Amino acid sequence: MIEFALPDVGEGLTEAEIVTWHVVVGDSVEINDTLVEIETAKSIVELPSPTAGIISAVHVDVGKTVDVGTIIVSIDDGVAAPAGMPSLEPETVESAAEGEPEEKPLVLVGKVPTAAVPRKRHLGSKKSAPASKTPVLAPPARPTDRPIRTKPPVRLLAKQLGVDLANIVPADGDVISRSDVERAASPASDVAVAVDTPRESRVPIKGVRKVTAAAMTKSAFTAPHVTVWLTVDVTKSMDMVKRLKADRNWQGVRLTPFVFVARAFLLAIQRFPDINARWDEEAQEIVLQHYVNLGIAVATPRGLIVPNIKDSDRLDLTGLANALDALVQTARSGKTSPEEMSHGTITITNIGALGVDAGTPILNPSEAAILAFGAVREMPWVVNGEIVPRMVAQLAMSFDHRLVDGALGSHVLAKVGRLLNDPGEAFLYV
Amino acid sequence: MATMTLGGAINAGLRKALEDDDRVVVMGEDVGVLGGVFRVTDGLLKDFGEGRVVDTPLSESGIVGTAIGLALRGYRPVCEIQFDGFVYPAFNQIVSQLAKMRARSGGLLSFPIVIRIPVGGGIGAVEHHSESNEAYFAHTAGLRVVSCSNPDDAFHMIQQAIASDDPVIFYEPKRRYWDKGEVSDTSSFDLHQASVLREGTDCTLVAHGPAVTTAMAAAAASAEDGFSVGVVDLRTISPLDVETLQTVSRVSGRVVVVHEASTFAGIGAEIAALISESCFYELEAPVLRVGAYNMPYPPASVEDDFLPDVDRVLEAVARSLSY
Amino acid sequence: MSTSTVVEDHFSKFAPDRDGQPLFQLIDPTGKPTSAGESFGIDVELAQELYSDMVMARRLDKEALALQRQGELSLWLMSWGQEAAQVGSIRALRSTDMVFPSYREHAAALCRGISPADLMRQWKGAAHSGWDPAESRFHIYSLVLGTQTLHATGYAAGVVLEKSDEVVATYFGDGAASQGDVNEAFNWAAVGSLPVLFFCQNNQWAISTPTATQMRTPLHVRAAGFGLDSYHVDGNDVMAVHAVTTRAVERIRDGGGPALIEAQTYRFGGHSSSDDPKRYRSDDDFAAWELRDPLTRIETFLRNVGVGEDYFDELAEEENAFAATVREACKNIIGIPLVELFDRVYAEPHATLDLEAAAHAAHLASLGSEG
Repeated sequence: MIEFALPDVGEGLTEAEIVTWHVVVGDSVEINDTLVEIETAKSIVELPSPTAGIISAVHVDVGKTVDVGTIIVSIDDGVAAPAGMPSLEPETVESAAEGEPEEKPLVLVGKVPTAAVPRKRHLGSKKSAPASKTPVLAPPARPTDRPIRTKPPVRLLAKQLGVDLANIVPADGDVISRSDVERAASPASDVAVAVDTPRESRVPIKGVRKVTAAAMTKSAFTAPHVTVWLTVDVTKSMDMVKRLKADRNWQGVRLTPFVFVARAFLLAIQRFPDINARWDEEAQEIVLQHYVNLGIAVATPRGLIVPNIKDSDRLDLTGLANALDALVQTARSGKTSPEEMSHGTITITNIGALGVDAGTPILNPSEAAILAFGAVREMPWVVNGEIVPRMVAQLAMSFDHRLVDGALGSHVLAKVGRLLNDPGEAFLYV
Repeated sequence: MATMTLGGAINAGLRKALEDDDRVVVMGEDVGVLGGVFRVTDGLLKDFGEGRVVDTPLSESGIVGTAIGLALRGYRPVCEIQFDGFVYPAFNQIVSQLAKMRARSGGLLSFPIVIRIPVGGGIGAVEHHSESNEAYFAHTAGLRVVSCSNPDDAFHMIQQAIASDDPVIFYEPKRRYWDKGEVSDTSSFDLHQASVLREGTDCTLVAHGPAVTTAMAAAAASAEDGFSVGVVDLRTISPLDVETLQTVSRVSGRVVVVHEASTFAGIGAEIAALISESCFYELEAPVLRVGAYNMPYPPASVEDDFLPDVDRVLEAVARSLSY
Repeated sequence: MSTSTVVEDHFSKFAPDRDGQPLFQLIDPTGKPTSAGESFGIDVELAQELYSDMVMARRLDKEALALQRQGELSLWLMSWGQEAAQVGSIRALRSTDMVFPSYREHAAALCRGISPADLMRQWKGAAHSGWDPAESRFHIYSLVLGTQTLHATGYAAGVVLEKSDEVVATYFGDGAASQGDVNEAFNWAAVGSLPVLFFCQNNQWAISTPTATQMRTPLHVRAAGFGLDSYHVDGNDVMAVHAVTTRAVERIRDGGGPALIEAQTYRFGGHSSSDDPKRYRSDDDFAAWELRDPLTRIETFLRNVGVGEDYFDELAEEENAFAATVREACKNIIGIPLVELFDRVYAEPHATLDLEAAAHAAHLASLGSEG
C-alpha cells in the first residue's frame, strides 16, 4: 500500500489546496497518471501517481487545504505495508477562501508548536555539572603564572567583601566560585575542617573572625588608644524610657536605654564635632566628617560586626530607635551588606548587655572614638547628702590620641554623662 | 489588524509605499508579470503600471547600478535580488558604489534604495538558494542592514526601510514566507530597534530572521525543563540596538547568539564582543554563538544537520549555564 | 551641406546590422527538408541516432518532473523542448572537447554518458553535483547564471598554452546573456582568439521575462561587436544544429577564433518545477511552438523517408525500459552525511574547520547518548 503524502512542489511551500481529483476509489492507475490537481501559493500543479495500482482511499476533499506531508490518497500497489506503519491522520485547515478561522494558532514568529517542542536534548538540573565542562571550541590551556581562576562577578564580590582570593581554595575544581567567596567572608558554622584530639580542638581562622582580627590588630597598633571613664546616675533617663514605653504614641518604637545612649552621644558629637574625624595618614590630613555614620557593635552567630547607621545625626529619637532595631535584626539574621559595614565615622558598643560595667574598647579602624556603655545597676548614690539607691551605669570612651586630646575626649564623655543624667540638658543647648 | 503571510505582509507594505510616494519604484527579475518567484510583488504591476513595477533584464549588477542612477534622479528604488546566492554579481555595485557614494560626495548625495533579499535555508533548495550573507554587508560601512522574522515586523519594516534616505539591505527569511501572523495597523517600533520577544532570567538567546523561530522553540523547550530563557529578535543588524542587547545581557548574565550564517566571522562575533566589553562584570559566562559550520552550504539532504537547530541551541544554553 | 548631414552621410555607408542573420534550417517544422536541406543532404542514419538521443532525453525529463511531483526530487528544471539544440550540438563535438553547461543541459549530459542517477543527484538534494567532469568532459552544472562562460574561456586559454586543438564549448541561455560575465567572456575570448564555442539556447523565456524585455537585438548580433563568428540556427531542427555546430567547430579548431551560435528553441515547461508559466505566458505562445516540436519534426521526417515501424517500436520499448531505470535510480539516490562533508571543503587541513568538525561529532554523540 502506498500512502501518498502531499509533497512540497515549490521549494519551501507549506500547504496546498485540493482543486480537482482525477481519480476515485476503485480506479486503476498507471505510474505517472494524474491523480489530482492542487493549488499552491505559487501555482496549480498536477500530481502524478508514484505507482501503478488501485485507488484504495481518497483522504482529502476538494476545496480543503492541507499541510505538506499530509497523506492525501492511498494506492494499493499489491505490496503489503511494512509492519508498524503509523496511521497518519490528515491535519485539516479550513481554506482561506471559505472564510473560516484557522484551527492552528497563529503566532508572531511562525509555527511554534503548542505541544512539547520536538528535540533530543534536555537541560539538566539547575547548577549541576554539565556533560562536558570543557567546550570543544575552548582554546587550549595556556601555562600561566597567575594561579587565581575566577570569573569577573566573583572577583568583584571578593573585593567588596574584602576577601583575598589568594587565600581561597576552591571547594570544587580550580575555579573559585561565588559560594567559595561567600563562605570565606563568613565563618563556617558548617565547616570545621579541624583535626581534633581529646585534648585539643582546632577551629580554622577564617571568615568574620579573620576579618575582625585583622581590623583589631590594625587599629590597636596604629592608633594610640586612651580610655576615659565616667560613672553616671542614669535614673532620670531610665524613668523617661519607662514613661515613653508606656505612652500610647511610642508603642511601635523599640526604645531601650542604649538608644538613649546613642542619642546622647550624637548630641555630644554635635557639640564637639572634632571627635567625629579621621586620621588620613597618606594625605597627612585630618578629615573632619560633617555627617555621623554611627557604628553599632553587634554580636552575631558569625562573630562581631559593626554595621553603621548612615547620617544618624539627622535622625530623631524615633528614627534612631527604628534604625537601630532594624540594624540589629539584619545583623542577627546574617544579612548585613558590605556597604552597611563601610564608611562608619564613630562607634558605640553595648558591653553592658554582656553584664560588665566597663572596658577599654578598641577603635573601629579609621575612627577617632568609640563609646562603651556598661550595665545599668541599682547602686548606692549620694543625693543631697543622703545615700539613696539610684540606677547607675559606667561609660568608657577610647579615643585616638593622635587627633583627639584628653581635653576633647573628656569633654565629650562628660557631655554624654550629663545628658544621660538629665535628658533635660538637651533642652539647654543647640 | 489582519492575518497575513510574511510574504503577503511585505506585499502589503510595498503596496502602501507605492501608494504613499510616487517616487517609489519596484524593480527586479520577474517582479512584474509573474509577481515574483515568491509572489511577494504579486498584483503590483497591475495596479501601479510598468513605470513603477519594472521587470528588469537578468543582471543583478545592472539592477543595483541602475537603481543608483534612478536614486540620483530623485527616485526611491526598491530592488529585488531573486535569491541570496545571486547578490554577488551586484556586490561590486553595492559595496564600492552604493555604500560609499554619500560619503564620497561629502554628504550631498542621498541613496534611498532598498535591496530586498530572500535569505536563508531550510527549504530543500539547490545551491546558491540558501545563503546567509548578512556579514558581508554588515561589515560594509555606509549600508544599513535589517532582517525581519515575522509578518507584523515585515509589514512595518519594509515601509520604514523605504522611507529611510539611506541604502538598506532588507533580508526576508524565505523559509518563513508562508508563515501567517497578525499584522497591526501601526508600528510600535522603529526600524533599528530590537524586539524582546520573551523575557528570561537564566539565559538570553539573540537571533534574527529565520533563526528567531528556532530560538523561540529552544526557549520553550528550556521552559519545559524549568529554565527561564529569553529571546531577543535583533531586527536590525547594522546598526545593532546596543541598548537592548546590554539590558537583556545584564538581566540574565548569559547570552547565546543564534544565526543561520556560519559562526566563524558571523555577526554573532560582533555581538559577542560588544556584550563582553560593555557587560563584563555582569556576565556569568562568555557569550556563546550557534551558527552554521564554516563550509559552503551543503546539499539539502543534510541541511538540517548543518543549520543550528533546537538541540544545538539547547547545547549552547547548557554550556552557558555550566559556567 | 549641414554638419548633421555630413555625419549622417559618413555613417550611412556603414549601417550596423540590428536584424541579424536569417535562421539556418535543414528540416522545416512539418518534417520536410528545406532547400538548404536538399542541398545539404540529410543523413538518415545520423537522424535516427539523434532522434533516439532526443527521445530518451525527453522521457527522462518527463519522468523527472513526475518524480518531483511525487516528492522524490526537490526540484527539476525541464529541458523539455530543447532536446534538438542540445543533442545536435553536443554530438557535433568530439567526445574529448570540454563542455561547460549551465543547469538545463540534461539531454547533452546524457549524450556524454552521464547516468540518470548522477544527473538527478543534485536535484534530490543529495549532493551539489553528480559527476566527475574529468570522466565525461562535462563540467558540473553552474546555477549562478553565466559564470560558466568565463570558466570556459579560461579553460580555453589553457588549451591554447598547450597548443592542443581541443574546442571548449559552453552553453547558456538568453537570460544569462544579460549578465556581465557572459559579455566579459565574449570580449575576452575574442581578443585572445580563444577556441571557445559559445552556444546560446534562446528558449524565449528567462523565468517570466521574454526576450523582448531581455535584449534589443537578436543575441547573435552581439557577436560581430565583440569579434566573434556568429551563427543563427533553428534550435528545434536537430540536423541543422548538428550541421552548424560541425562547421563552427571546424573553423575554431582551425584557429579561426571563438564563435557564437544562437539556437532558437522553446522552453515548453516552466522555468522549474516551482514555476507556473500560465501566469505570464499565453497558451497561444505555447501552441505556436508546439507546432515546431523538435521530436515530431524528425519523427515525421523519418517516417517520410521510409523508416519502418520496427524502429519506432523498438525505440518505444527502449524508452520505457529507460524510464523504469530513471525512476529506480532516483529512488536509490542517497546523500552523504554532513560529518563527511567537512573533509571536502579544503585541500589541506584547516584548523578552525577541524574544530567545528569535532564539535559536530561531539554534538551528535551527545544526542545519541541522551537518546
